[in-house]
Amino acid sequence: MEILSNFGDGLLVAMQPQNLLYCFVGVFLGTFIGVLPGIGSMAAISMILPLTFYLEPTTALVMIAGVYYGAEYGGSIASILMNIPGTPSSSITCIDGYPMAREGRAGIALFASAIASFGGGMIGMVVMAVLAPALAALALNFGPTEYFAVILLGLVAASAVSNGSPLKGVAMVVAGLMLGTVGVDLTTGTERFTLGIPELRDGVSLVIVAMGLFGVGELIVSIKANRHGAQQTKLDYKKFYPSWAEWRAMVKPILRGGGIGSIVGALPGTGQTVASAIAYAVEKRLSPNKSNFGKGAIEGVAVPESANNSATQTAFVPTLTLGVPGSASMALVIGALMIHGITPGPRLLVEHADLFWGLVASFLLGNIMLLILNIPMIGLWVRLLQIPYRFMYPTIIVLICIGVYSVNNNVFDIWLTLLFGWAGYLMRLYRFEPAPLLLGFVLGPMMEEQLRRAMLLSRGDPTVFLTRPISAALIAVTVLLLIYAFASALSARKRARAAMTVPS
Amino acid sequence: MNSTLCLAVTAAALIATSAHAEPGAWSDEPVRIVVTFPPGGTSDLVARLLAQYLESEFGQRAVVDNRPGAGGTVAADYVAQQPADGTTLILGNNAPFTIAPTQFDTLPYDPVESFTHIANLGASTPGLFVQPSLGITDLDGFIAAANGDGITYGSSGVGSITHILGNAVDSALGITTIHVPYQGSAPAIQDFRAGVLDAFYDSMAQNAAMIEDDEVVALAIASPERSVRFPDIPTFREQGYDVVIENWTGLSGPAGMDADMVATIHETVEYIMALPPVIEQMDTWGISHTEMSTEDFNAFVANTIEVWRPLIIAANVNGG
Repeated sequence: MEILSNFGDGLLVAMQPQNLLYCFVGVFLGTFIGVLPGIGSMAAISMILPLTFYLEPTTALVMIAGVYYGAEYGGSIASILMNIPGTPSSSITCIDGYPMAREGRAGIALFASAIASFGGGMIGMVVMAVLAPALAALALNFGPTEYFAVILLGLVAASAVSNGSPLKGVAMVVAGLMLGTVGVDLTTGTERFTLGIPELRDGVSLVIVAMGLFGVGELIVSIKANRHGAQQTKLDYKKFYPSWAEWRAMVKPILRGGGIGSIVGALPGTGQTVASAIAYAVEKRLSPNKSNFGKGAIEGVAVPESANNSATQTAFVPTLTLGVPGSASMALVIGALMIHGITPGPRLLVEHADLFWGLVASFLLGNIMLLILNIPMIGLWVRLLQIPYRFMYPTIIVLICIGVYSVNNNVFDIWLTLLFGWAGYLMRLYRFEPAPLLLGFVLGPMMEEQLRRAMLLSRGDPTVFLTRPISAALIAVTVLLLIYAFASALSARKRARAAMTVPS
Repeated sequence: MNSTLCLAVTAAALIATSAHAEPGAWSDEPVRIVVTFPPGGTSDLVARLLAQYLESEFGQRAVVDNRPGAGGTVAADYVAQQPADGTTLILGNNAPFTIAPTQFDTLPYDPVESFTHIANLGASTPGLFVQPSLGITDLDGFIAAANGDGITYGSSGVGSITHILGNAVDSALGITTIHVPYQGSAPAIQDFRAGVLDAFYDSMAQNAAMIEDDEVVALAIASPERSVRFPDIPTFREQGYDVVIENWTGLSGPAGMDADMVATIHETVEYIMALPPVIEQMDTWGISHTEMSTEDFNAFVANTIEVWRPLIIAANVNGG
């Protein structure tokens, strides 16, 4: 088995003391940031990005990945104890997690969430180990035409299955696309929307947009929402271990959630939030215990946690093998690798095999560390929620400013971050999701670049997208997805209208 | 500080300024070497190598300060405004000093007058690479292919040295090719390997492995003479086309630096560049060092702007 021997080699890389240390730093920081409502893995990765410049690339990647999935573990803690999602993707966990806590079963819910996250993580890891080499082999022949089709599929998928209002979702994607056009046009060298500011010639930096919208913006919202810090939920440590029946009830949801999560996570454009939402909806339909969903069913905690954590692992598949990030966090991962002179793409698995397999193996070690951090040490995180926000949030704002400044050593970047922070706050106020904006911002310029390159190479012949088989297949899937999205929106409206006309 | 030591320090300073410059530390403060690119690229690595040897050989503390952005002009503008006391230097290259003066209508600095160009570090040479499947073996074959089915080539971006080279080759050979810009050479090479590009221009040294594995055919190198490392690859010149473009890098500071300090820095850099491990490392990056006096280096920077100006204008990369 080639995969097993590769995995074995990867394990040796992941167990090098430095990688082990930074893996721990990553998962610890991830859990920390995940527990805090308001800021998620995005802000945390932005903050540590400058630090990774001085690490070995494998070590840097292992640490960033640790933050990414660590936040999924931590995110569920605030969801269960306070009904406030620590990360957007753990909002689904609130549905059954918080009712369990109110019944006095908070300990069991936390335990279930940690175990389910672990199970999902392992499923995601196996899927990644199998899927990535296959996709990389296919992608060796990808040209601009195929990349354009993949990115188009990602963007359509993101707006078709986003949470919240689809119209606002599309508006945000378009806003992101527009923001992405700022800077020097790659094909002609002409400046676009730079307003004569030299700092804008290279476009708006992703770190700035991300830190502004997700870091500063969410912090302002959180300060407004929780003036006095969290209310303490009583945690009964004696009731921590699930009963045998509860264990058995969790097995199938974990497997199903992990399966759905790992597939959804591997699609570009969707993410952990979509993965956990879909997995929860499917489980609610299949479960023998469906009547208890929403009232504190342990399955309802296990399924989204398994799904979102498996999605965090498989998100690395398109990121590393195609160089197409599925989310803004993954775009930061690509940025971190590029700084080390490593271009993600189909050859990464061959040219940097130790990096790829080291990362895969670090998922195993990192998830074990997280299990330890989240079960015996759960009390630490619960106490963290009780630190008054007046100490916590100013500290985080300062860290964000330092992080932004240290990327380019430019004060202009800090002002721009604060500007995006206010924009993010206003967007939250009017219920516009920042995630689609960020995805449009990341994928838009890539899509434009590939489109124009494909047209240059085809000497201006647009049928090239339909005559190359892989690109034609991807475009067909995109069209089907669009039809599905329209059809379901139409039927939802019809149902709503029918419900309204029913005489009361 | 006691008076004897104080006297000794003054005496040492006097000797350093009066005698012919010797390599050595020139500042009690740590020196910042500003790099126009983010960490990790060759430019950054060269700066870090320099910083390492400044410290280990002469005890001159030096830190690398990455200020990327706007084709290197952010870094150059920053250095031009710093005090000319030898504590802020820039690892310069063609982006802010050779291409930007022609590419941009307005620059916040003068590439010659706002700086003291101290020492040349070296240059790397780009070459022209084509798909082996095309069966092209020399520039005449390249011309025939361009006039036949046409040739698409990848560059590291609009206004990059490889784009300007591609354009210069087109006009020297009297052909028209289709330029496909990428963000850096790595994605261009990826598309080349996927078979969608016919050709690309890139640094010779970066592609040594692909040349060895016969994954590319290197048609010509843009240096004045054949390279020691690639003796089998002919120059453009010897095939009858006068195309010479090299990617230079050097050390500069703000305008108005003290002449003695400049001489010391120059000698120190030359000393380091002659160390065997440094030469070996520079070789792997494809950078060959040519010693230039400070006067020559200043003239070189000014002259290169004029030599390249028509090539840059021809490539139509005006950035406003």
